Amino acid sequence: MKKPRVGSFLSVVLTLVVVYALVKWGIPALSREVTTLPFPLPVPGTLMFFYMVLTIVALFLFVTFSDEGLNDFLRPVKKFLRGGYTKSLRAVVLTAIPALIGWQVYEITVPKMEVPSSLRIQHPSSNFPKSFEAKKNPIANPTEADVDAFIEQAKANEVDFIPQVRDDVENWAEEVDPDHVLELFPTAAMQKLLAQLQSGDVDKDTARAALLEKNLFEGRALYAMNCRACHGDSVAGDGPMADGFKLRPINFTDNGTIETIVEGYTFWRVANGGPGLPAEATPWDSAMPEWKLSLTEAQRWQIILAEYDLAQKTPRIPESH
Amino acid sequence: MRISKMIPTAFGAALAAVWISSQALAANVPSKPMPEATEALLEQGRDIYFGRCSFCHGLLGDGEGPAAKYLDPRPRDFTLGTFKFRTTQSGELPTNEDLFRTVSRGLQGTAMQSFDSDLFKNGLSEDERWAVIAYIKTFAQEFDDPELDPVETGKVISLPASPAPYGPETIAKGEAVFEKAKCWSCHGKLGRGDGNKEFRKDDWGFPIRIRNVTHPWKIKAGGEVADIYMRFTSGISGTPMPSFVKSLNEEDRWHLANYIKSLQHQLTGHQTLRAKPVQGALPENPDDEAWNTAQPMDIRLAGQVVAAPRWQNPSIEMVTLQALFNDKEIAFRLIWDDAFKDVAHDETKVFNPNELAKVGGFSSYVEANDMVPRALETFRDSIALQFPVKPPQGTKKPHFYRGSSSDQVHLWVWKADQAETGKRGTEEGTARGWKQPIKVQAEDGQQVMGQAKWDQGRWTVVMKRPLKTGDKNDVAFEPGVFVPMSVNAWDGSNGEHGLIMSLSTWHYVFLETPTPISVYVYAVLAFLIAGAVGIWLMRKAENEEEPVEAGV
Repeated sequence: MKKPRVGSFLSVVLTLVVVYALVKWGIPALSREVTTLPFPLPVPGTLMFFYMVLTIVALFLFVTFSDEGLNDFLRPVKKFLRGGYTKSLRAVVLTAIPALIGWQVYEITVPKMEVPSSLRIQHPSSNFPKSFEAKKNPIANPTEADVDAFIEQAKANEVDFIPQVRDDVENWAEEVDPDHVLELFPTAAMQKLLAQLQSGDVDKDTARAALLEKNLFEGRALYAMNCRACHGDSVAGDGPMADGFKLRPINFTDNGTIETIVEGYTFWRVANGGPGLPAEATPWDSAMPEWKLSLTEAQRWQIILAEYDLAQKTPRIPESH
Repeated sequence: MRISKMIPTAFGAALAAVWISSQALAANVPSKPMPEATEALLEQGRDIYFGRCSFCHGLLGDGEGPAAKYLDPRPRDFTLGTFKFRTTQSGELPTNEDLFRTVSRGLQGTAMQSFDSDLFKNGLSEDERWAVIAYIKTFAQEFDDPELDPVETGKVISLPASPAPYGPETIAKGEAVFEKAKCWSCHGKLGRGDGNKEFRKDDWGFPIRIRNVTHPWKIKAGGEVADIYMRFTSGISGTPMPSFVKSLNEEDRWHLANYIKSLQHQLTGHQTLRAKPVQGALPENPDDEAWNTAQPMDIRLAGQVVAAPRWQNPSIEMVTLQALFNDKEIAFRLIWDDAFKDVAHDETKVFNPNELAKVGGFSSYVEANDMVPRALETFRDSIALQFPVKPPQGTKKPHFYRGSSSDQVHLWVWKADQAETGKRGTEEGTARGWKQPIKVQAEDGQQVMGQAKWDQGRWTVVMKRPLKTGDKNDVAFEPGVFVPMSVNAWDGSNGEHGLIMSLSTWHYVFLETPTPISVYVYAVLAFLIAGAVGIWLMRKAENEEEPVEAGV
C-alpha cells in the first residue's frame, strides 16, 4: 500500500496555521500555567509578526532548496490555476483574494477614530521629594515616650482611643463590663500585655506590640471610613465606587503596588492625591483625593499601617545613602 | 468522517464549560457543611471578625461600627437575627450556606464585598469563612433554638426541579405574571423602581429605594435567574418586599424571574461618544425620532468622594448619552433613571459642609441619613455636562473634578426646577476647581437650548448649542477632534445638591468626519490590480505545457 503523502504545498500551509495557532493561543495558555495569574498574557502584535516572518523565511528556504522541491510546491498551485480543482473554485479564490486585499487597503487608509492615549506611569518619581524617601511610619515605629505613655494609660485603664472608634468601644464596654478596656482585643499581643498588667510587670516590647495592635485597630476604622468606598473592604481596589472611575482604584493585594514602594512614597501619594501627580501619571483622571486637606499626618500614617497589614504586604526598604 | 473529528472538540468545549461553571460555583458554595462550633472555631471566628468585620458591623455585632452611619444600606445588625438574603421561607432564619454565600460573594453595589480568598490573596479561606460565620451566629439567640432552625424544620426553599429554560416564551409569561402580581405597584411598569409616589421605609425607619431591577450591578444578592427567583420566593426580611409563595406558584415565579432577568441593562463598552452628522435642524424634543439614529454611550458615575463633603451613596450611577450635529450646532441627549421627579429646591436646607472640610475632623463624608434630608420636595434633580475650556493638547486635560484655577472647565448645568417653571433649563457656567462654586455666565452668553421630560422613572434631557460661540470661556466643537466630556448628576430626593452628587471621569465626544473619496478609490484600485495579477497567473499556467505525471 502506498504511504499517504502530504504534498509540499499543503504542509507549508499547515505549518503556517500551526505556528500561528501556537503563538496566538498556545503561548497565552502556557503563560497562565507559568504565571498562575487568572488571565493569559497575549503575544504582542509585533512579536507575532516577527514569528510569522521567521516561519515564512524558513519555509521559503525549505521549498526553494532544490528545483524539485520548488516544483513539488508549485505543482498544486499550477494545477489550481489551470482549473484542475474545478473552475468554480478557481473563480471563487481568484475573486476572494483581490477582495481581501482591497478590504485591507480600505482598513489601512480609512481615517480611524483613535482616542488620544498615552502610557501612564503608575509610580512617577519625577516630582517625588527626596526627603520623603527615607521617611518611616512613626506609628509603626513609636518612640520610647509613646510606649511609656501607652503603658501609663493601660495601667490606669484610661486608654485614649481616637474619637471615630470611641462610640463603638464604649458600647462594647457597657455591654461586656470588662475589667480592662483592652480586653476588646482578642489578639495575642494584647492578651500578653493584659496578663503583664495584672502581674504588674510590664515590659516595653510587649507594650510596643500591643500599641501597634491598637493603632491597627484605629487605622482599620479610619480606612473603612475614608478609603473603603473606592479601595474596598479587602483593599483589593473593588469598592462600591470603583466602577465609576476610568482609572480604577489601586488593588493593594496585587504584587507590584504598595510593596514595591517605600512608605514615604505611600505617605506622599496619600497626602497629595491625584492633583499632586506629574503629567506622565495623568493626574486629571485620578480620583485619589488630596488627603492632607482632610486627614492629619497621624491619621494618614495609621491608615497606611492598616492598609499594608490588610493587604498582607510590607513596604520596600529605603535604599541607604 | 467530519463529525467524528468534531467530537473531541465538542467534548473539550463541554469539559471547559463544566470547568468554568465549577469555578464560578467554587466561590459561593462550600465544599463541606459548617463544622461544629467548637470553642477553638469560635475563637478563630472572633479574631477574624475583629480584624475584618467589626469596623462596619460593630464590636458587638449590632451594625454600629465606626463606618456604619455613612452607609446606605446600613451594615446588618446581627443581634436581631433578621437576614435579608436567604433561601428559607418568609421570616425564617438563613441557612449556614446562605450566610456562606453572602460572605463569599458579598452584596453587589453595597459596602459588603466579597471575602473569598479565591478572588484575592488576603480574602478568607473556606475554613476561615465558616469560623467567622459560626462567630456571627453567636450574636443572635435565635440561632441557638433548634425549633427555629430552617433546615431541621424543613423551611428551606429549593429551586424548581425542571425550570423553564430562558427564552422569549418564558419571558412573555413572566411579563404577564409581573402584571398580575402587581410588581409594578412598587417597581414601576418598566422595573425602574418608580412605582411608589413616596418613600418607603424599612423596619429600622430608614428610607429605602425600591430596586431599579434594570441595573444589574445594584442587584445585591445576585442578578442570575436563580437569585432573582429566590428573592420573591423568600421575601426580603425587614423591607416591604414580601414573599410571593402564596400568590404565585413555582412555575410562575420562575417565569417572573426570567422576565426580570430580561430587563437587565447591558452596558455599552466604549469610552467615546460618536456624534453623527445630520442634514437640517437638530432635535430639541427628547422624543424626536432623529435620536433613534444616534449611537448611545453609557457612562458610569460614582459618588463624589474626592473632597469634602464626600458622598458615597449616590443615586444616579449611569447616564446614557447621545449626540447629533449639523454644520452649525450640536445637540446632546442625556438619559438617566430617577424614581422621583424632584422639581422643588429649598435653598434654606442646603448643607453647610464647613464641619466636614476641616483637617483631622471626625469625618469628611456626609452621613447616609442624618445630615441631609432625603425626602421629596427638598432639592431639585439636576445634571451637568462638563468640558475643558481650552482645547486639550495630547491627553492633557483639566482635572475631572471641576478643573483648577489654571485649567478651567465649562459646564452646561440643567436644573429641573427652572425647566419646570418655564425658565431657561440649562445654564452655562465656568469652574476653576471644586473649591469655588460654578460661575454662571452672563445672560447674553447663554446659548444652550433644549427640552426635558420625566416619565416612568426616567429623565430625558436635550441640550443644544452652536458648535462655536466665539466666547473664549466656552468649549468649541469641530469635526474630527476629540473633546473630553464628563458628567455631574444630582438626585434631589436623595439629598443631593452642591458637591453632594455623583460624577464621572473624562470620556470623549467625537464629531464624525466623512470618509474621503480617495479611500474608496485606493481600495478599488487594489482589488483591480490583485485581480489582474491573478488572471495573468492563470493565463500563464494555462499556456504552460501540462507536465506529465511523474508515475513509475
